[in-house]
Amino acid sequence: MNLFSLAVKNLQRRKGRTLLTIAGVAIAVAILFSLLSFSAGYERELTKEMDSLGFHLLAVPKGCPYEATTLILHGGVIPKYLTNEDLVRARATDGVVIAAPLLLQQFVKDGIPHIVYGIEPDVMLPLKPAWKVEGRFFTADETHVMVIGSTLAEKENLMPGSVIPFGPLQEPFTIIGVLKPSGSEDDNFHFLPLAEAQRVFKKEGFITAIAVRADDVKHIHDISVELEKVPDIQVVTMAQVTGTIMNIVGSARSLLFSVIVIAIVISAAGITNTLLMSVNERTREIGMMKAIGASGYHIGVLLITETLLITTLGGIIGILAALAGSGLIETFVRGMVPYAPSGSFVSFDPILIAGCLVFSIGLGLLCGIYPAWKSARLSPMEAIRGEWE
Amino acid sequence: MSIIKATGICKTYQRGREEVCALRGVDLTLEPGEFVSIVGPSGAGKTALMNILGCLDTPSCGTLTIDGVQVTGKGEAELVKIRREHIGFVFQQFFLIPTLTVGENIGLPLLFSGTPYDPAKIEILLEKVGLAHRADHLPGQLSGGEMQRVAIARALVNSPRILLADEPTGNLDSVTADGIYRLFEELHRQGITVIVVTHNRELAQRAGRVIAIRDGCVVAGS
Repeated sequence: MNLFSLAVKNLQRRKGRTLLTIAGVAIAVAILFSLLSFSAGYERELTKEMDSLGFHLLAVPKGCPYEATTLILHGGVIPKYLTNEDLVRARATDGVVIAAPLLLQQFVKDGIPHIVYGIEPDVMLPLKPAWKVEGRFFTADETHVMVIGSTLAEKENLMPGSVIPFGPLQEPFTIIGVLKPSGSEDDNFHFLPLAEAQRVFKKEGFITAIAVRADDVKHIHDISVELEKVPDIQVVTMAQVTGTIMNIVGSARSLLFSVIVIAIVISAAGITNTLLMSVNERTREIGMMKAIGASGYHIGVLLITETLLITTLGGIIGILAALAGSGLIETFVRGMVPYAPSGSFVSFDPILIAGCLVFSIGLGLLCGIYPAWKSARLSPMEAIRGEWE
Repeated sequence: MSIIKATGICKTYQRGREEVCALRGVDLTLEPGEFVSIVGPSGAGKTALMNILGCLDTPSCGTLTIDGVQVTGKGEAELVKIRREHIGFVFQQFFLIPTLTVGENIGLPLLFSGTPYDPAKIEILLEKVGLAHRADHLPGQLSGGEMQRVAIARALVNSPRILLADEPTGNLDSVTADGIYRLFEELHRQGITVIVVTHNRELAQRAGRVIAIRDGCVVAGS
């Protein structure tokens, strides 16, 4: 037997209390771990998603705020348009490799909103190298054809070759291709040749936005300045979008962090209280141990070991629970934040796991030090008589 | 050489603003292997004397030597060492740890003295106190008398020369108490100095020497 196994046996004496204390620590650590891994994962996924868009900036009609840009990324429709002249200007700007016009339209079918993207395949496909199509893609001048996202195809039970009535006039359209699942918003959209989309929705000559790829990320700023000289155009870079989203998420995060700090303080007070109570109950026994040869050091180490066992175990359980429940937390968080990247943003970062464990151990030391010190310096005679201050 | 020699021991406690004088100049000499009872009414100073003799408390004045070692003026760390090496303690409440087996309870002092746990030694002690083959039981499975025997075995595990018992039969019926006293007599025959503080005058008479205390002074048996 050693002090460690003695500490374990001591904790077994009040199983209910020990388990409740462990649960308290576990909850605090689980929340801490979830929040930290969410922060890291969210930013990482957001950046990844912005990178996968394939373009560096979006030229939108003037007066279109960042939130509206977010809407466009999600397939939202804004009631202002750019023109073909703007597209020509954009293409002529130095440093622009690709300028892809987009026309976004929305219609509601059976109560479900549908998003239509009018695109030019020649410039759009190089922007989206990840797109894989079952069937084939359309050319710029085809009519009455469309390519749809995989989720949409599954929901509507459509496949290459299906013909559906489409647009305000319910014209027959043939689905010539279905995009393979990309994990992004693209899976929900209808894609039409730009000219065909403009014709169907009576928006000839109009486009919603221009997606621009620069030859080098260093030129993004110069291109923005140049494009904004066009009176109609406002430029939003993807870095700005990421920054705006991160700012909104950041303030929510600060609020959550204050909640976490309060939870941890309460949990720490609870642990200390439990330990003091357990020391109080065992005052006479501690006196006995001193009488039979235990030094203050032995008693202190015993108490600290008991505390560390509780907090370390609580920490491990908390981390495991956070990992197991990450799906739930993610679903919850998705509903709360302004822009949720499609990838999973709960990260399994070993450094974070180690950090949370170190935190649990630190918490144990912090909470255990006072009860341990108090019992270590207890005079054996006073302790045996049960005279505890 | 005397095993315990106390000269002019005083002990005053602070109770709030009041100063309580528990011992007023106690002189006491005990020879190795003696069986001694300390008796006296409640508040006479029995436990205070016991605590000082057992190095659990320090006297306010006077000197004390145990087994030739000067105790007075020593710090807590040295007192721990003296307790560990020279003295075994038995209490009225047995103070067994309920989640440890009988064997582990007996071996507890070894943990603090850094001696390896030796099951054979524990079994010898169990035989000595009449509880052979019970090392794996838990205290909850024992009767009061048996628990006190375990506590006595625990007191003996570091082979001390002095056994100090504070009201060891206070929680036991007379038949069981008799058994515990017979065990003390046996240990006394084996050469251990046994000191028992008790209320029970009848049991006290079974010791070779009865020291009576009243109002902090030894009134008989010094």
